[in-house]
Parts: sequence; structure tokens; C-alpha cells
Amino acid sequence: MMAFFDIFQLELRALSRSWSLAMLSAASAAWMLAVPRLVVGDGTAEGMREVCLRYGLGGVMALVTISMLAAATGSLARERAAKRLQLTMVRPVRYFMIAAAKIAALASAGAAVLALACALAPFAAGTAAEGRRCVHVLHPVMPSPAEEAKAMYAEYMKSPDTPEAVKKARRSTVLRILETRAWDRYETVRTNSTARWRFRFDGVEAPRSGEVLARFRFSNVNNARQDVAGELRLGSLSAVVSNLTQAVLVFPLADRGGDAGEEGVLTFRNDGKDALMMRPRRDVELLVPADSFVWNLLRSWAEMAAVVTLVVAFGVFLSAALGRPVALFTAIVFLLVSEMSPSVVEQYPDEFGATLSDRIGLMVARTVADATHPVSSLSPLERLSRDECVEPREVVRAVAINVVALPILLAILAAFILPRKQEE
Amino acid sequence: MTMEPEIVVSLNGVSKTFRDFWLRPTVVAVDALSLGVRRGEVFGLLGPNGSGKSTTIKMILGLLSPSAGEVRLFGLGPRSVAARRRLGYLPELSYLHPFLTAAETLRYYAGLCSLPRREASRRTRELLAMVGLEEVANRPVGGFSKGMARRVALASALVGRPELLVLDEPTSGLDPISTKEVKTLVKALARGGMTVLTTSHMLADAEDICDRVMILNHGKSVAEGRVAELGTSLEEFFLAKVGDVQDFALAPFLKG
Repeated sequence: MMAFFDIFQLELRALSRSWSLAMLSAASAAWMLAVPRLVVGDGTAEGMREVCLRYGLGGVMALVTISMLAAATGSLARERAAKRLQLTMVRPVRYFMIAAAKIAALASAGAAVLALACALAPFAAGTAAEGRRCVHVLHPVMPSPAEEAKAMYAEYMKSPDTPEAVKKARRSTVLRILETRAWDRYETVRTNSTARWRFRFDGVEAPRSGEVLARFRFSNVNNARQDVAGELRLGSLSAVVSNLTQAVLVFPLADRGGDAGEEGVLTFRNDGKDALMMRPRRDVELLVPADSFVWNLLRSWAEMAAVVTLVVAFGVFLSAALGRPVALFTAIVFLLVSEMSPSVVEQYPDEFGATLSDRIGLMVARTVADATHPVSSLSPLERLSRDECVEPREVVRAVAINVVALPILLAILAAFILPRKQEE
Repeated sequence: MTMEPEIVVSLNGVSKTFRDFWLRPTVVAVDALSLGVRRGEVFGLLGPNGSGKSTTIKMILGLLSPSAGEVRLFGLGPRSVAARRRLGYLPELSYLHPFLTAAETLRYYAGLCSLPRREASRRTRELLAMVGLEEVANRPVGGFSKGMARRVALASALVGRPELLVLDEPTSGLDPISTKEVKTLVKALARGGMTVLTTSHMLADAEDICDRVMILNHGKSVAEGRVAELGTSLEEFFLAKVGDVQDFALAPFLKG
């Protein structure tokens, strides 16, 4: 274990004595402080706060990711090229420790720079961050889209309306199509009827009058807003719904007397002229008070640091197998593909009617999207800027996967490759 | 009855064939080589360029795996941590981290050898004094001359108190005074019971420090014996075994 700390320290010394860490910290701090002056907001403190968080911290995150990736892809490759690595490999050190210590050192450096940027965020955002609370975003309790897809499969395949090409397709392809549909499944709320959605308040404060908000997206299939009128009710809390202007509306629920509704069930009675189309998985949310902005910022930092750790681990793994330029090129291409893949997969959920080359492209995009899901699914800054809680359980999961499990796996693979690479 | 000394390094029918991307053999660097280095002796691997000395050393260090045969260090596989714990290595060039000072370099390698912090510091001071670099202990090694860097590398090879010291061209690039100092040091270490395995082009140096030598040519052993029992100078013995000067780059010029 002592060797781990010595290699860790050596890597940090290399970063600090080459001034790389100092320059990266200075550039990040300068960017955080410059963003409010460079980017024109909407004139409100809220807008400026969003600019600082999304562009300021987002810019630093991009800078740190690219810088640490560059350092990681050179960590083992440069030492091997300079033949210094063999001097470490002939010492009584497990090869796994060499890779793990380098990952830990570079990830710590990246996390430190991100921490500096996060510490500057409240100053850059001015007073808009003071005394703020974030909210838990709760979704209706429903079967997962994957479960719903499985339940629908048999019936869908028997249906005479299902195209022949789909019936001949593989089960996994059909399930994927059905899963996409499940996310977007619309529920119709007819005039003078009531829709009901159950919510679970596990681990959050029970909703209190004036503190709980209901967020609805009233839009039709063409994504245009719908005129709406009605009443929302959650237990003894309620709100009157009347909208002619916006697609997304937030209603504070307050105790207005009257009959208490069912516990944990949000109801919406449609009193308008038209039936409403709503996707419960996307369009219906409850916002329940959570902790402070500072705690949320801290959790966002942990998620960002987790992403940087995994990127660094991937870079070190590539560095074990390839020369530095090839490793860096491969890593950047992989990052770009992994950034694009989720939107490709979302836009093209199936490959019916596609050419062979398109099918291959979709297969690659889908594989990369699946493989990079642990990272791509993390988008803390977007939620932070909307005051939505970065949930502690998500942070624990991100740390367990991105900081512990996957880096250990990549370090084991790097350790397997290291002695074989010496053969070349 | 005398006890046979322990065999510290043994190679048994070891071959190394390098292959290209398609796994086609390109070079047979070492061909069915067998040798045994006994505890406490200074063993020299000699041979012209490309004879397989460095490949043999790398297999002994576990940096390369043999294509055939078996390498054992202290009876263990060369990649085992237990074997590496008893090993010190000085490469042909020093390969130091330029941003570390001489003292930090030694403390770093002491840490890799799992020496406790206090002992690492004491050992660092001892070794810096031994190689005459106390005055420049806190200067980055990137600014050192080749001879000074070589001395730091030698000290870092010794930092873990190894039982076996592997030296690849230990006097390479050193001036005559430094060369003499290194040879004196190797002889002193051998007297202290350390086993030394060294490669060298410098036959005079090898003659001075080695108890036993093996001469390699084209990856094969062409001669092996005790220096004291050769009955001739090592240079004459070497040229006789390797085939005069025809294996050297200068041969065409010398033969007119």
C-alpha cells in the first residue's frame, strides 16, 4: 500500500512541478469569474445564476475533463516511452497498484480543480445563491418502461396492426421500440374527468402546505401548449389550474380546506373544454423541499468528480495499451461518440428501413450509449441550475460505479496489459 | 565436503523470439540459453551488439517473458513480488524523473521497496553519501550531468538492500574516474555478499570485476568460464570465441 501512495505522490508532483495543475486552476478560476462579465444574461439575478452554473461550471468541467484525459493518456505511455516505467515494474509493486495510483492521483487533481470552481460559484453567481433551497423531483409510481415493454410484447406481436417487418424482428429490438413508446405513452384526461397518479415520499419530508409544488407540462403531440382549466389535489392540499400562456406550469399546493384526498395520490380534474393529452412519465412531477443550494452544489461536485475519475481511468487504461498520441486520439473520438450516441439512439430507436451502413452506425451508437450510460446519465449542472436536488442515492451510485467499480476494473485490465506491452 | 552455493538466477533452455503484428517470427534474440548465477559471485554477460544480452537481462527482470524455457529468480518466477523484493536494477541509461531531486528519487524508490519512512530517509542519506552526492541532494536530477545521474540511478538500485544487483552496462557513458569508482563499488558490494549480474561491452571492466563470464553471440552462449581460469586476457578469449572482428561494425574498414 505504501507503494500506492508513493506513485500517487509522484504523479501529483509531476503535475504540480510542470505547472500544469497551477495553470489549470488559474484558468478555471479566471473562467468562473469572467463568465458573468462575458455572457449576457436576461438581466435577472436568476438568469445570471444559471449562466454561472451552466456555462461557468460547465466550462470548467469540460476543461478539467480534457486536461485530465490528456494527462491520463500520457501517464503510462510517456513513462514507457522514456523507459522509466520499467524501473517501477522491476520493484516489488503490483502492476495494479501502478495503474490505480495514477488514476487516483489524476482524479484527485481534477476533483481539486472542480472543488475550486465550485467554491467560486456562489461568488460568481452573486447573491442569487444565498439562502436557496433545492427541491426533490418526484415522479408518479409506475412500472418502469422496460417492465411495461415486456408486458406489452405478447399483445403487440399478436396485433394485426403490427407491421410484418417488426414481427420478424428480434425480441430485443421490439422490446426497445416498446420501451421508447412507454416513455412517451400519452394518457388522455377527458373533460370533467379526473386523472390520478400515486407518489411515494420515501426519504423526503411529507408535503406541507405552501411548500410542495406540482409541475405539469400541458402540451399536445405537436409540442404546443394546451389551454387548460381544472383543479389539482394532493391529500388536503390543492391548487386551481388555469393556463392560457405556458406549456410548463408550476402550482403551489396549499391547504384550502374542503375534503382531504387520498394520501400520496395527486389528482387532476379537467374542467376545461378539451380533453388533455399527458405523458405521466415526463409531464407530471411533484417538487418537494430538499436541503440547501450549498449541499446540492457539493453533491453536484461529487458527481462531476465521479465523471472525471472514470474518464481518467479510461485514459490510463488506454495509456497502458497504446502510445500517447494514439491513446489521446482514441479517447477523444470515444468521448465525442459517447456524447452523440444518446441523441442518436433517441432519434432512431429502431433500424427498420435503414441501409446496412446505417444499421452498423446505429449498432455502434447503441453499444457506446449503453457502455457510457454511467457517465452520460449524470447531468448535475442542469439540475443544479434549476434548483433540482442531485439526489444523495444517485451520488452514492455514481461514486460506487464511476469512482470505485469501473476504475478498479480498468486498473486490473491495465495491469494485465502492462507487462505484455513491454514485449513490443 | 563443500556446500554448493545457492543458484540465485537460473535460465533453463530459454529462448526469445520477437514477432510482428501478425505473430510471424522476426528475430530470434535468445536461443536455448541456460545459465546459473551463484550467490555472492559477480557474473558477466558479454557479447557484441545484438547478441541478446539486454533481452536476457529483461527476461531475468520479468520485463519480457521467454518464448520457451524457464527463468527463475531465487527459485521464483521473475514477475513475482517476492522475487522483485530481492532485486536491484541499474539500466543502461539512467531514466530518472527529471523533476525529482536526488533525495526524492531515492525516497520514491525506497517507498516502492516498502521501506518505512524513517528508514527510507536514513537509507537515502547513506546512499547519497556513498555515491558522493550529498551536496546536491536537493537539486532536481534533470539538471545533473550524465555521471551524476548514473550515480543516482546506482544508488536507487541499491536502496532496497537487494540480494541480487543487475547492472546493464554500468560504466556506459562514464569518465575514467567515475568508471573506476563504479568498479570499486561493485567489488565492495560483492565482497559484502551481494550477487551481481552485469552486462558490458568493456572487456577490461568486466575482467576487473567479474568472477565468471558468459559470452553470447547471436543469442547463443559460445563460452562460459571463470575469468581467473581463462589462461589468456578476456579480450583475446572474447575475440577467439566471437570470431575476431567480423561481428563489429568496423570490420569492413579494418579488413580494408
